[in-house]
Amino acid sequence: MRKVGIVEVSQSPGVETSLSLMEFTFKTVKELLDKVGMRRDEVDTYILAASDILHSGMACANAFDIDAAGGFMKPLSRQEADSIWAFYYGCARIMSGHYESALVVALIKGSENPENDTVTTCFADPFYSRPLGIQETTAAAMQMREYMERFGVTEEQCAKVVVKNLGNALFNPYAHKKKRVRVEDVLQSEMICDPLKAMECAPKSEGVCAVLLASEEKAKKLASKPVWFKGYGCAMDTYYLGDRDLLDTKLKVAASKAYSMARIHDPSKEVHVAEICEPYAFQELLWCEQLGFCEEGGGGRLLDSGATQMDGPLPVNPSGGVLAMNPYVPRGLYRVAEAALQIKGKAGEHQVPRKVKTALAHSVHGFAGQCHSVVILGA
Amino acid sequence: MIGTGQTKHGRRDDLSYPEMVREAVKAALEDAGITPDDIDAVVFGSMPSMMEGVALNHLYFAEALRAVGKPILRSETCGSTGQSIAHTGIYWVASGMADIVLVVGSEKQHEGDAQATMMTIPEPFLVRIVGGAPAVFSMQAREYMGHFKIDEQKAREAAAIISVDCHNGGFLNPYAHIKVQVTKEDVMRARIITYPVRLWDVCPSSDGACAVVLASERKAKRLCKRPAWIKGMGFRGEEYFSGDSSKAVWRSAIEAAKEAYGQAGITEPRREIDVAEVYNPFTYQELVLLECLGFCPHGEAPDYVIKGVFSPGGELPCNPSGGVLCTNPIGAAGLIRLAEAAMQVTGKAGPHQVEGAKVAFSHAMGGAEQFNAVTIVGSEL
Repeated sequence: MRKVGIVEVSQSPGVETSLSLMEFTFKTVKELLDKVGMRRDEVDTYILAASDILHSGMACANAFDIDAAGGFMKPLSRQEADSIWAFYYGCARIMSGHYESALVVALIKGSENPENDTVTTCFADPFYSRPLGIQETTAAAMQMREYMERFGVTEEQCAKVVVKNLGNALFNPYAHKKKRVRVEDVLQSEMICDPLKAMECAPKSEGVCAVLLASEEKAKKLASKPVWFKGYGCAMDTYYLGDRDLLDTKLKVAASKAYSMARIHDPSKEVHVAEICEPYAFQELLWCEQLGFCEEGGGGRLLDSGATQMDGPLPVNPSGGVLAMNPYVPRGLYRVAEAALQIKGKAGEHQVPRKVKTALAHSVHGFAGQCHSVVILGA
Repeated sequence: MIGTGQTKHGRRDDLSYPEMVREAVKAALEDAGITPDDIDAVVFGSMPSMMEGVALNHLYFAEALRAVGKPILRSETCGSTGQSIAHTGIYWVASGMADIVLVVGSEKQHEGDAQATMMTIPEPFLVRIVGGAPAVFSMQAREYMGHFKIDEQKAREAAAIISVDCHNGGFLNPYAHIKVQVTKEDVMRARIITYPVRLWDVCPSSDGACAVVLASERKAKRLCKRPAWIKGMGFRGEEYFSGDSSKAVWRSAIEAAKEAYGQAGITEPRREIDVAEVYNPFTYQELVLLECLGFCPHGEAPDYVIKGVFSPGGELPCNPSGGVLCTNPIGAAGLIRLAEAAMQVTGKAGPHQVEGAKVAFSHAMGGAEQFNAVTIVGSEL
């Protein structure tokens, strides 16, 4: 298979901006192209990832985004739902041999959008789930309750994820929410949906993220140290929550596919840093288990051991993760960008102290983790 | 392409939306002679969530798509979604990361309000007042006639011929939605929708789904006696604001077709292509497309249409299936074009088969007249 390299990434901050979505997108894409020294028409193909009308109030989002993202008169496509898919599709286009470079752009203007759950309510089918009030947060709350009951994970352990991630975010210039908080602060924050507290739920952020991909030859020309695409896995689960064991998600399938493609046998040792999508604090613990970083039910103990801290052997979400920055659709591409920066050693103040040769990026959408994707990057 | 499947399109109150998706998936798997376990990956697409009120409906269709435990991608580029999902599947196979990919597009328009959704493609500040498909495409028709100084009566007659041909095609096609035969006079006397577009110049709102099975060369040769081979693909998008570009000399259509012809090694499209499925929600738009896709010189489509070049039995028959004009489940419509093209080159088109078709052209258009996508298939590798 053809190798694909990440040449460069750029991201925008998550706090509300006065720029319009077009200006905001243009600025981030231009920044990326300037860093590489390329013109937009020198890029072979564009893959956009934008949310649809329920987020932005405009149907067929890429119709509006194409000019600002640079895709005018270029072979173009768009992924909806998850921007990590746009990354993968960009890789696939290069691997096909048709293209030498691909620019992947994910964008959303959270400050102009309705609340996340106004949108996620519409993921529910209108006949059975929606009348029950199933949306992302209520589904996550049921999953958290089951997680605590079955494995004895405590509310304190879940709250500690917030302490770690918002603390890490203090060193990430792009993060939206950053704060030094204590476990008590999290536990005392407003109850959103028992047992989920306000601080355990991700915010609603702005975000444009751009990633330039290139074939091996081209990547080596454009960057002194490209980051290589090593593995990918994705898996869907059944739709209705009652049909699933909420603690046995398809993340295991997605991860095992990604690991086998990247020839990783023991992820807890061979993955050096992970950027995980945790819209709800406890999910970081659960996802760590299903990614094979620890034994089943051991997510809380893994965190307690300090292993996933910035200076631990397997730092998880040194950027602050989705709890600190949640641009809904772009959040998956942000994970990829952050993982790539860690390998490049260019993460700045939140660069992890350990040497990073292999990094993992993860993304999820759907109720209680219906659809997971895992990307492995390598030096 | 080793299999295609379509639902019976129309008003499908007899099925839930997931059941309708399943009908197409089942048909495609049966046509390909494979089981769900053989599928490595799934690509899905439909119009935005406002259409039927369920957002990211691939989640809702996980079982119907036979995607549980499998990787999935979801592509959406408005009206051209059907072609974009096909391209996604093709690149997935071509990347070497999957051997068999199931591609599915769907829409159940009777459960929503298509034009309400279309109204939200234009942004809310400057251009929303001209939203909705009939307004936009009627303006394109006027721009086209004005740009090339085409006599209105001549364009009217040509558009009517397209309508008659398509409705005859739809009448023969077992999957088509609108099954009404019309005469030129019926079309020209029909009630006005937005000038110059009349009722029989406009596509319906349909419920329907389409699925195709793509396979790597090795697998296709093993599983299928007569696969349809992908010969070329093209996609281009242009400026968002309509006034920034010409829709009479429609650059995204011209460039998308050129790219596909380059890959397929086609230099004289009208001669080398045996049958074309051109996305034609509006008859007048087909006139513009026939020129921009390179089937005839600019400004001359009405003459060619009146001469019967694109009619059944003509040099390049267009839309023998009845086209989008007779069947328009939007998220599926672009994929139906490709499925029909594949059916033609594999001799499976049934009553609307174009005899001996070896090279077939498929196309879709979307956005605020912004996107054009082309896929060419052939009977030979």
